[in-house]
Amino acid sequence: MSDLDERLLAAHEADDRGALIALYIEAADTATSETAAGFYLTHAYVFALELNDGRQDALRTRLKAMGRV
Amino acid sequence: MTTDLSTVIRPIDSANGLPNAHYTDPEVFAEEREGVIFDQWAGLAVAADVPEAGDAKPVELLGVPLLLIRDKGGQVRVFHNICRHRGMILVSEPRKIEGAIRCPYHSWCYSTQGRLVATPHVGGPGMNTHEDIDKSDLGLVEVPSHIWRDVVFVNLNGNAAPFEDVHADLLQRWYEFDSPHHHGGADSRFQLDVKTNWKLAVENYCESYHLPWVHPGLNSYSRLEDHYHIEKPGQYSGQGTYVYRQLKADSGEVFPDFPGLSDKWNEGAEYVAVFPNVLLGAQRDHAFAIILEPRGLDETSEHIHLYYASEKTDDALRARNTAQWKEVFEEDVFVVEGMQKGRHAPGFDGGRFSPAMDGPTHLFHAWVAEKLHDRREKLAAE
Repeated sequence: MSDLDERLLAAHEADDRGALIALYIEAADTATSETAAGFYLTHAYVFALELNDGRQDALRTRLKAMGRV
Repeated sequence: MTTDLSTVIRPIDSANGLPNAHYTDPEVFAEEREGVIFDQWAGLAVAADVPEAGDAKPVELLGVPLLLIRDKGGQVRVFHNICRHRGMILVSEPRKIEGAIRCPYHSWCYSTQGRLVATPHVGGPGMNTHEDIDKSDLGLVEVPSHIWRDVVFVNLNGNAAPFEDVHADLLQRWYEFDSPHHHGGADSRFQLDVKTNWKLAVENYCESYHLPWVHPGLNSYSRLEDHYHIEKPGQYSGQGTYVYRQLKADSGEVFPDFPGLSDKWNEGAEYVAVFPNVLLGAQRDHAFAIILEPRGLDETSEHIHLYYASEKTDDALRARNTAQWKEVFEEDVFVVEGMQKGRHAPGFDGGRFSPAMDGPTHLFHAWVAEKLHDRREKLAAE
C-alpha cells in the first residue's frame, strides 16, 4: 500500500473531510490515467461541496475541462 | 372500517363525541393521518429549532421522514429527508450543513434550497453526468410550509388552501401580536410524552370547564366565570380569560409586554387550538406554542415552547415561568391518559357534551368529522 493510500485511509477513518479534499487532489495529480484522475477529482469535489470549501470552484473547473461535470 | 359520524355533527345539545374507533382502531388512525393531518396545515416543529443558516434537523410526522432546514438565504424549508437516488435518509441527526447536503450512500449532493448539485460517478467512474439524469428534475421534494408565531406548519399532501386563507380569521383576531416573538431558549422548551391519542390533548386544551377541578391552583384568581368560549366552526376553538395575571419576581419585575397591544390584553389572554395539532397561548408578556406530535394511536409527544417580547429576559423569572406552565400541563396528563383508557369501554357512545360548557370541544369533534367526511366523499368520487 502506498503512502498516499495509507493517508487516505487514515483521513477516512478520522472522517477528516478537509484532509480528504487535499489527498484526493494529490491522488488525481499523480494518477496514471484520465479516468483515475476524474475519479479522484470527483471525490475531492464532492467533499469540497459538502464543506463549502474554497477549492470547489477550481475542482469543478478541472472536471468541466475534462467533460466530467 | 368506516365510522358513523352522523351523531357527531348534530347540534351540541344532542351530539355525541367521536366514536371509540377514533381512539383505538389502527384503520381509523390511518384514515385520520391522511384526512385530518396530511390534508391540513399541521404543526411540525418551531423555527427556533434551526436558528442559523445551514441548521438542519430531521423530524418525522407520523412516519414520514422530513428535514427541517434554514437555507443559506435564511428561509426555513421542509423537505422529504430522502435522496432522489435510492431513497436513503439524508440527515440522521441535527447538524449544521456547511455547504451541500451529501447523501451518505452514493454522495449525491443537494444545496440547502434543495437543488441537486452533484451526482458523482452517475455516468461511470469519474463521470458525473449522464444524459438521462436531469439534475433540474431531481431536487429534494419540498413540502409546503408556513411559519406563524414561530410554528412551522406543513401541508404534507400539498392540497390545502394557503395558510393565510385557512386561518384568516385567527390571524385577524390576534393581529395585535404580530410583533417578534423570541424563543426563551433551552430553559423555555420541554416535552411531555403522554399515553393518549393526540386528539384528547386538543379536546382538553380548548375548554375551560375542567379548570377548577384539574387546576385548582387557578381558582384563587381565575374562576370559571372569568372565562369565555372561543368558537369558530370549521376553523378553531379555545378559551379566553378576563383575569390574566402576570408573573412577578420578588422585586416586582415582570416580563416586558409585546408592543402596541390594546387595553383588552391588560388582563385578557386567549388559548386557542389551531386544528389539527397546535395549541397556542397569547398573553401580554409571553406566549407559548404546543405542538402535539402523534406518535401512535395512544402515544403523543407534547412539545412546549415559550416566547417573549424581548430577546433578553430575566433568567430566574423565565425559569419560574417554565416551571409554572410545566406544572399546569402535567396536571392535565392524568385526564388525557384516563380518557384514552376510557375509550376501550365497549359501547361507549362518544359521550355527551355540556351544551353550556363544551362548545369548543364539540366544535373540534365536528371539525374532525367534517374533514373525514370530505375525504370519504372525495375517495368515493374517484
